[in-house]
Amino acid sequence: MTDAMRRARRHMLARTGLAWLVMMQVMMLAFPGYLRHGARAPDAQQSLEQAIVLMNWLSLILCVPLILYCAWPVWRGACRALSRRRVGMDVPVALGILAAFVPSVVATWRDAGEVYFDSVSMFVAFLLTARFLETCARQAVSGQPHEGRDAELLRSADRLAFWFVCIQILLAVLVGLYWWHVRPDHAVAVTVALLVMSCPCALSMSVPAALAARHAARLRAGADGARDPESLDRAMRRVARQNLHGSLAWHLLMAPLAACGWVQPWVAAITMLLSSLAVAANAWRLTRPADGGAAGRRTAAQLA
Amino acid sequence: MDALFLLLPISLLFVLGIGVAFWWAIFAGQFDDTRDAASAILDDDDRAHPGAS
Repeated sequence: MTDAMRRARRHMLARTGLAWLVMMQVMMLAFPGYLRHGARAPDAQQSLEQAIVLMNWLSLILCVPLILYCAWPVWRGACRALSRRRVGMDVPVALGILAAFVPSVVATWRDAGEVYFDSVSMFVAFLLTARFLETCARQAVSGQPHEGRDAELLRSADRLAFWFVCIQILLAVLVGLYWWHVRPDHAVAVTVALLVMSCPCALSMSVPAALAARHAARLRAGADGARDPESLDRAMRRVARQNLHGSLAWHLLMAPLAACGWVQPWVAAITMLLSSLAVAANAWRLTRPADGGAAGRRTAAQLA
Repeated sequence: MDALFLLLPISLLFVLGIGVAFWWAIFAGQFDDTRDAASAILDDDDRAHPGAS
């Protein structure tokens, strides 16, 4: 691994870890907000309201470094994509963060309306986790030359992600406008949920994760001597296809639910993380030995 | 209720301290290689101390 790659990985890890730290704090501080609409005595309700105001301000303070430091790659990527007149993966993500963060700041300042700091921090933390996995996968692949078919596979996945993002942003805007007319108080939540779900994290890491897993499987096959490259190649393409179709199916299933307003923004963030982790786990299956671990047990027996 | 106004800022300071410690640990290289550090104890050179075993 080169120095630049190590530095990039350290920065990704720092941003991801700090985002998780902020997320855990903000989730805890957001909890009283969910209790607001219960039945209780007037004085208890009043002290709860005071606590909610204090906790909203603390969440805001915690979210500022999250937005400025942890989410920095998102802003940079979105600016770069827009200056080239393209729609990358960062544009919907940046829109989603802004659409949740700016109304929350306004609501905190005016002390009226819903805040979504927990959704913002969860979104950034989960997104960076998926990005970190993707960075590791791409770094593992970057050392070896690409075969022609692999490059073709990567290109087709990127093309698919591009159209996917365009359609999702359009859908989020249209559905947001519709909700703005029908129920203005729900419009922000629905739009944020749709924008969070439009993030093609799982889609864009599906092929690199499969390639990285094949690379790891090849290294292991070189050590153990077993597993022919042809079947490994077939297995890799099968896993890459499964990942692509699975993440697409996930998004197609969740988008209508979010458009109907049944998915809270933080639920959308969790499903996004789950789909990314499912893609990584599916690719990881490739690195297991073909004979179900017997070779590993043999090695262990020899060592003992 | 009044205790919250004291305790929450203190928790913020704690979070700040934890964040700085985490940042330092990453850039000191503690998370660069988690696998080899675990097996390093198995790979040491036992010949250097023949009487130790």
